[in-house]
Amino acid sequence: MEDSTVTRMAILGTIAELHRESLAYDVACLRAIVTQLAPDLLCAEITRDAWEHGDLDAAALEVREALAPVVAGTDVVLLPVAPTPQRFADFTPRAGWRHDLGQSFASSLRWGMRRASRPEAINGPVFGAYCHLVCMLTEWTWPGEYRAAWEAQNQGLAGNILAAVRRDPGRRVLVTAQCQRLHRLVPFLRAQADVNIVDYREL
Amino acid sequence: MDTTPVTVAIVSPYRLGREALAALLASLPGFEIVPPDGGAMPGVYLWDVMTAGAAPSLDFVAGTPVLALAAIEAAPGLLAHVAGIVLRDEPPENLAAALRQVARGDQYFSPDLVLALLRRHGSPAVPALPAQPGLAAVTDRERDVLAALAAGLSNKAIAARLYLSVRTVEGHLANLYAKLGVRSRAEAIVLAVRHGLGPQNT
Repeated sequence: MEDSTVTRMAILGTIAELHRESLAYDVACLRAIVTQLAPDLLCAEITRDAWEHGDLDAAALEVREALAPVVAGTDVVLLPVAPTPQRFADFTPRAGWRHDLGQSFASSLRWGMRRASRPEAINGPVFGAYCHLVCMLTEWTWPGEYRAAWEAQNQGLAGNILAAVRRDPGRRVLVTAQCQRLHRLVPFLRAQADVNIVDYREL
Repeated sequence: MDTTPVTVAIVSPYRLGREALAALLASLPGFEIVPPDGGAMPGVYLWDVMTAGAAPSLDFVAGTPVLALAAIEAAPGLLAHVAGIVLRDEPPENLAAALRQVARGDQYFSPDLVLALLRRHGSPAVPALPAQPGLAAVTDRERDVLAALAAGLSNKAIAARLYLSVRTVEGHLANLYAKLGVRSRAEAIVLAVRHGLGPQNT
């Protein structure tokens, strides 16, 4: 018998503005995945304040155009878990060699996303390793305080996810997060005794 | 969460009404339209009530819940006959939530209808309650659910407000009904209002 205190959780990486391109993993595909999975709870990268005020203009594209519409039409409940609105790209310095190098790495990452194209590939081990490498190189270009802020934000995100699922343990939870976070987020969540991480196709 | 589509049979005196509702439900995930007098048993009837005092155009199958789509003027006469009432000015997603809720055996009443009925508290439209122990045995979380229920929210809306799953809200409601000694959502709402948990207090 399944332990009702252990939460079954899948983490689905998203690709921000690339969902609007002619990729297999476009906005419609993301909507279809979430609709078909029909999780009890959906953790999304939007702050609680923005969600409760209906301020989707400031939210990530995937929240605004895919997740919010699915939630409105189904019994899936969205949990806003972002501690702050910033995303990975917001931590790249605005000028100088750090900026230029960061932009090169960002282009490489977008190339990888376009090559992977399908959701199962983008959420698979090969692209995952590539994404992890490019993100590590990108973070290396950041000043120390930027890296610390990014780390703090990811810890806040993970903390909010755990707090949300511990309010309602034993449910099927889907976490959607930009790919650039996964190499930090997944190991932390996998280490929790009351969370069972599964592939999103097995949720 | 159960992903089996909810089968809905639409009962309306007018073809345009039936087809408009069918097109709306086809655009929402998780629903399948079945003929009301066909071979397949629907999970819920959606009864498009055109006027107060209207009778359905066919006999609903006993035991299958009926959700009425009606104007507020027609609602009081329907309460004893249906599992739920959705008012005509509700958004489509509320109709979807109501259908899912009623198909799972619960009741649904539009928030504006709840308010209107509460203003008529004590009228024959509001059922008299048996003696019950009160709210002493209710947990804080259950109290939050009860307050949201008294505001006329659907189970989905309660879940979204409290950041809980719909299944958890349904579990809390089942516990509440048992603790409060009530048999239905309507009785729970009336009891909650009597204990000061009405819409004006949420």
